[in-house]
Amino acid sequence: MFLDVLATLPPQSDFFGTIIYIVQSYYKIILYGLGVTILLSVVGTLGGFILAMGVTQARVVVIDAKRDRLFVKIYKAVFRQLAIIYVTVFRGTPMIVQAMIIYYGIATTGMFSWWGPLPAGLIIVTVNTTAYISEVLRGGLQAVDPGQMEAARTLGMSHRQAMRKVMWPQAIKNALPGVGNEFVVNLKDTAVLSVISVVDLFYSVRQGASATYRYYESFMIAAILYLILTYLSSKVVDYLSKRLDTTAEVNA
Amino acid sequence: MNPIIRVENLIKRFDDRIILNQINLTVNPKEVITLVGSSGSGKTTLLRCLNLLNEPNSGHIYFEEQDLMDPNTDINKLREHMGMVFQQFNLFNNKNVLDNCTMAPMLRLGLSKKEATERAIKYLTKVGLKDFIKQDVRRLSGGQKQRVAIARALCMEPKVMLFDEPTSALDPEMVGEVLSVIKTLRDEGMTMVIVTHEMGFAKEVSDRILFMDQGIVLEENNPKDFFSQPKEERTRQFLNRVIQHI
Repeated sequence: MFLDVLATLPPQSDFFGTIIYIVQSYYKIILYGLGVTILLSVVGTLGGFILAMGVTQARVVVIDAKRDRLFVKIYKAVFRQLAIIYVTVFRGTPMIVQAMIIYYGIATTGMFSWWGPLPAGLIIVTVNTTAYISEVLRGGLQAVDPGQMEAARTLGMSHRQAMRKVMWPQAIKNALPGVGNEFVVNLKDTAVLSVISVVDLFYSVRQGASATYRYYESFMIAAILYLILTYLSSKVVDYLSKRLDTTAEVNA
Repeated sequence: MNPIIRVENLIKRFDDRIILNQINLTVNPKEVITLVGSSGSGKTTLLRCLNLLNEPNSGHIYFEEQDLMDPNTDINKLREHMGMVFQQFNLFNNKNVLDNCTMAPMLRLGLSKKEATERAIKYLTKVGLKDFIKQDVRRLSGGQKQRVAIARALCMEPKVMLFDEPTSALDPEMVGEVLSVIKTLRDEGMTMVIVTHEMGFAKEVSDRILFMDQGIVLEENNPKDFFSQPKEERTRQFLNRVIQHI
């Protein structure tokens, strides 16, 4: 098998021949890797977005010194600190290091029989993205005019009702371009998960590369595929952001 | 008759600066009170203290004999009875005109969507905007926005309306449409506290005018005497400065 590969490989000087050869021989695993990269980004971004709403809410919580009961004050303060620590830790360390710690940390406990590179990768990208999207959402909330909150409160709405009905819908709308950007970033950055043997695009191309010893050509394929992915998704994000901005005009 | 709002010895500081210094004030049912004075005199802060948008440092604010300063008072419940209109309108940007008006009555008063819609249409008709219910609020003119804001507050059927410089952010030709809505409310017996720079309007609608200066109510007078024979020298100076422009 190994010798077969080397026997049929085009000569080193034939760049396009080599590329075509690698694509033909390894397209199955490369497509699989491509799928995994997309899966990681979609799950990481969507999951991160949902979790980030909770983390952000904990971070922006307001403690009413006069009216909140002691118990409420304590749990608000505790969750706020936890949320701040969470964001600081996950934004302050490289995802490649987080991947090693989480993957091997949980593997050594042997707690989960299903624990393997792909489930671990999905969880790692999600918890990492949560921290980044939390920043985006916090910015989105801060961009909402404080007068919106005041108006809601003067109508009798509680802080919680005002957040849910008035502040968050506007914050999410403000944040969507940033969340889309996180998706694009994830497409590229999930490449580091190959360090725990997640068979993503990077990992699958490396399989082809190490079998043929044609690293340069193999990773040119990876680069082109990543570029296509990020280019297309940037376009989609741009389109969606523009559409969101103009819904008001269209409806009116 | 018992006052609707009674303020006793209200003190508000921002850091070390005293903004409101021992304010006493009563608002009786169906009364229209305007607060006037130069900027920085504390009139907007006083208005915002009445529904605790600004938290006073000490003193008491009684709304129908319930003390807002008591930590056990449900301020959300009391705010349902005190409508507020802002200088910058503060309409909910994520909602259309109708939803701006129906949200709080549904959430707070337990109205069904149908009841809330009927009520909203009633008050939007009153402010002359019945045909705009599906409109996005960002596409309204300033005067229309402010009228929606008034309708939104009225939908809670409040006992008092607080107006914080309701025409200051408007183009001059839109001031009239907003003031005429407020006059209609006065004619219907709505109790109101209004912060304004429109002296002609203050003279026309007020039962009492309070002139504020450096955190105190320097002069309290009926509109006629306030403009023709003010008691205080500071009031006279203030009136001379603002009236010159009219």
